[in-house]
Amino acid sequence: MIDLCDVLLRVGERPLLTGVDARIDTGEFVALLGPNGAGKTTLLRAIAGLHRVGTGTILLGGGALTQLSPLERARRVAFVTGDELLLDALSVRDVVAIGRFPHHRWWEWQTRGSDTIAVTRALEAVGMEGFAERLFSTLSSGEQQRVWIALGLAQQTPILLLDEPTSHLDVRISHEILALLRALSRSGKTVVCALHDLNEAAAYADRIGLLGNGTLLALGEPDALLAGPLLEGVYGITMESIRLSDGRIRVFARPACEATDDPAEPTERRNPAPNA
Amino acid sequence: MKAATLVGLALLLPVAGAMSLLVGGTPLSAAQIGEELFHPHRSGVINTIVWQLRLPRVCIAAAVGASLALAGAMLQGMLRNPLADPYLTGVSAAAAAAVAIAVLAGATVSALPVIGFVAGLAAALLVAALARRGSGIDPNRLILAGVSLSTLFAAIVALAVVRAESIGYAGTILAWLAGSMAGRGWHDLAVVSPYAGLGALLAFASAPSLNALRVGDLRARAVGLDVERAQWVILAASSLLAASSVVLAGLVGFVGLIVPHVARRLVGSDARILLPACIVIGAALCMFADAICRRIVAPAELPIGVLLAFIGVPAFLYLYLRPAVANRGG
Repeated sequence: MIDLCDVLLRVGERPLLTGVDARIDTGEFVALLGPNGAGKTTLLRAIAGLHRVGTGTILLGGGALTQLSPLERARRVAFVTGDELLLDALSVRDVVAIGRFPHHRWWEWQTRGSDTIAVTRALEAVGMEGFAERLFSTLSSGEQQRVWIALGLAQQTPILLLDEPTSHLDVRISHEILALLRALSRSGKTVVCALHDLNEAAAYADRIGLLGNGTLLALGEPDALLAGPLLEGVYGITMESIRLSDGRIRVFARPACEATDDPAEPTERRNPAPNA
Repeated sequence: MKAATLVGLALLLPVAGAMSLLVGGTPLSAAQIGEELFHPHRSGVINTIVWQLRLPRVCIAAAVGASLALAGAMLQGMLRNPLADPYLTGVSAAAAAAVAIAVLAGATVSALPVIGFVAGLAAALLVAALARRGSGIDPNRLILAGVSLSTLFAAIVALAVVRAESIGYAGTILAWLAGSMAGRGWHDLAVVSPYAGLGALLAFASAPSLNALRVGDLRARAVGLDVERAQWVILAASSLLAASSVVLAGLVGFVGLIVPHVARRLVGSDARILLPACIVIGAALCMFADAICRRIVAPAELPIGVLLAFIGVPAFLYLYLRPAVANRGG
């Protein structure tokens, strides 16, 4: 469980997010949405203890994040990012094994049986067990993303945070990864990830957190959030939404030229008939 | 497999040590040397040659090679920069400048190593202070500060050499700059052992941190590494090791830059294996090189830095630039 209580986050001296209050329950899959620069990554890093909290409190499983040592924190929350390049020639197993770091003290060099099992299970969970001895650099973007997730899983934490895990991936791989995250949440792991694709978020997340205007504007059910007027205001673009036969909502950004041509139309399109 | 490679590499040490002991101005057989090695307190010329000249020399060569290789591997790992070498923090340039100034000021040759050691560590501290950002170290600032200060110190050395030439001391400075273990003995080894030992201890304590840093600072932080503290420990360890080698042999290039690459090629980048491999390869390389330096232009000596550059660089380029073996483990 993650509790955010009146959290303020700064980038340099500039406040980026203020007054963030939220509770994310155990086993929930929450997607963070918002335009570039809204603070999705910074918020994830703050929950992971990788960005200093200005004011307010973040609780992980009821315990204050600031009271945890780096190793204790890394045993409670894993942060997955594809940002940094890998320079060394590492095998997939070597990369994932780094997720075992918080389970060792500095003088404990030996790889234990529990480490081997955790790494193997993490690789199996992301479907990469057959790639364990391959060089990481020889993998495709989607495979590499799976390996980063496996590194997070090898940490064996109750909370998994992911920063844009589907960026640069094709549609099929994106959906496979989101399905994996959803399955992980169903197995009891709390999963929070920053996404850009509104419909991916709607299809897989239990709830969506919408960031904009320097705060967490809403945290709610995907359908309620996507069908409402909040999205257009946050992204500054006209949105169209349709309801699928199964009742779920899908949204699309309307091309700017169309929006300018006919300013009256978006209102009509935003609330189409069910099963349109 | 990697452990087996490491054991195989370790066999190089006795071979290099034996070869180095056999080389010298006075021809001695292996039997004579072996006999004296078992009788350290025996009197006689041969015993003196073995115990006071050759054996300390072999140990110093091993210590210098191991220290430089270890320091290079740590800095390359911390900065994630394959061009980092132990002298990046300004240790060598500052030591050289201090020695050059000391020679001009009339310091005795025996005082030069200590002067170099103190100046080298002081420079490392200054570079670390300049590279400080928040509670940690900014790798880019570290490189810039190290390179900038090294350039400044190099200019001081050049100025000192010009000045020393007119008073006949240029040879002393240049000999020190070229790197040599001539004239060093047990005393020098005893002086630096605590510092080099502490550096090596810190290096091995940093092995898990170095492993975590292989996936980048942010991910290392995410898996629970206190990156700032790890950076300070690694910097302290590499500075102690580099300064110790400066005391023992002046400026010996190549080893700290290249040996970590060779070791990584052979055993991968897992610091638990890489660091011991660097010690073994660095020590063996310097023992071999020192033996050749004493033999090739006997009775004179070739500076070890010169030999390493002439033989080591082409060998390394061949090893490093040849097509990589497919799918080797890291």
